[in-house]
Amino acid sequence: MDLILTNGMNLVYAVATLALIALGLAVVFGLLGVMNMAHGEFVMLGAFSVYVTQEAGLPILAAVPLALGVCGIVGYCVEWSIVRHLYSRPFDTLLATWGLSILMRKIVEVSFGRDYKSIDQVLPGTVDLFGIAYPSYRLVLLAVIAGFFGLLFIWYRRSNTGARIKAMVSNPPLAAAVGIDTARLARMTFVFGVCTAGLAGVALAPLVRVEPYMGIDYLLSSFFILVVGGLGSLEGLLIGSTVIGGTDAVISTLFAKTSGYMAVLLISILFLWLRPDGLFSRR
Amino acid sequence: MTALLDVNGLSGGYGDVTVVRGVSLAAGSGQAVFVTGRNGVGKSTLVKLIAGQLPAESGTISMKGQDVTALPAHGRRRCGIGYAPQEGVVFDGLSIFENLTLHRPDRDLTRYRELFGQFPRIEERLQQTAGTLSGGEKKILSFCRALAEDTPLVILDEPSEGVQPENIDRMAQFILEAKAAGRSFLIVEQNLTLVEEAADHVYLLDHGECVFETARTDNLRETLSERLQI
Repeated sequence: MDLILTNGMNLVYAVATLALIALGLAVVFGLLGVMNMAHGEFVMLGAFSVYVTQEAGLPILAAVPLALGVCGIVGYCVEWSIVRHLYSRPFDTLLATWGLSILMRKIVEVSFGRDYKSIDQVLPGTVDLFGIAYPSYRLVLLAVIAGFFGLLFIWYRRSNTGARIKAMVSNPPLAAAVGIDTARLARMTFVFGVCTAGLAGVALAPLVRVEPYMGIDYLLSSFFILVVGGLGSLEGLLIGSTVIGGTDAVISTLFAKTSGYMAVLLISILFLWLRPDGLFSRR
Repeated sequence: MTALLDVNGLSGGYGDVTVVRGVSLAAGSGQAVFVTGRNGVGKSTLVKLIAGQLPAESGTISMKGQDVTALPAHGRRRCGIGYAPQEGVVFDGLSIFENLTLHRPDRDLTRYRELFGQFPRIEERLQQTAGTLSGGEKKILSFCRALAEDTPLVILDEPSEGVQPENIDRMAQFILEAKAAGRSFLIVEQNLTLVEEAADHVYLLDHGECVFETARTDNLRETLSERLQI
């Protein structure tokens, strides 16, 4: 029973963190149609924000405004200088953001070095959860992610800004005709997407290896989630995370980590082949 | 006296294809100016240029004396140019309520009270997705949104297309009342009944050029029918 509960919690944790990581790409790719190849690098910037605050002797929470500031400013500049000119040219956007990802990795590498950074444990220890000892930080992280997604879901469904974003995505000319500054709204949406990637980096930094090349894995897993879940809906993001995270966790537990990767890759290929719009596409 | 809307030598189209060539027109306060002509002569392209949906190749567009030619569509809306297009008239994935309120910070439906009185089906289905409406109902929803705005100029592109005759009469009545209150209209329309009911001035387009214009006359329908070779 304890084993089932432990594996179940690990599965929930894997799905939740994957959903958090993929959220930024889901926003930028799903709503704006921009395949942001630098998505993982914004996760990396968030993780390095934790390293910087730790080195400065500040608590991890200080990394949140730092990551938001850095990712927000970089995202704003990238959208304004590069992405906004390429909205109708997806392949060019992909190439441009790929180049950006290399640049961001190299800048961080030059600034902080190539080696792994050691991040102190946050909330060390475990709590008793239905008879099993579960890491405190993971439990807090799960609660924060659940709360964040719940609020985001309600905000997107009910707020005027959520309706404006949906309007901009579905009918840009009409959105402009009713007075919505679609260029500004697209910029803010892009900034929001990269900031959530940065926040994911902050949240995961104490649990993962922090180094300049860490973003590549996150880009791939986020992409697989969107392939399975489809673009343009939070439901798709959560279902995609469940399928990808669940498959990886189960197969890796039963066989080996490599088998888990292969299973995820196989599922993604099958979806691209048989159901290219994913399970919950709104586009 | 400065016209509310003043278009001078406007040309433009799609990419390298010029559709509208050197069109000039004006609309004063409280006037309904109609643009008519056969299919494919550039009527919708003309109003897209004026509303900022397409960039102008040459010419100028002034609103209340201010040159708005270089402004984007949302900037022109803020300068007082409302626009209800011919196609893609509603946000299909949003509810009717959201379609009517998403551009208003207060999300208030009070301004639609009179319109709901004449078009009760809209109010009855506020939570319904707009994409499920018929073509005519979408046109009415688009008309209601444009009319309820506080813009001094309203551009309507084929507002009566697919709309039942009795609802066209109601639209005409709203246009007349708004005119009396000082609002102006630029309307692309082929339905001569609506033109006859509400027009103060009519421009006839052919091959992207203005080939005829007339102020309101007693025999407006006959004049236009003859010109349109109906």
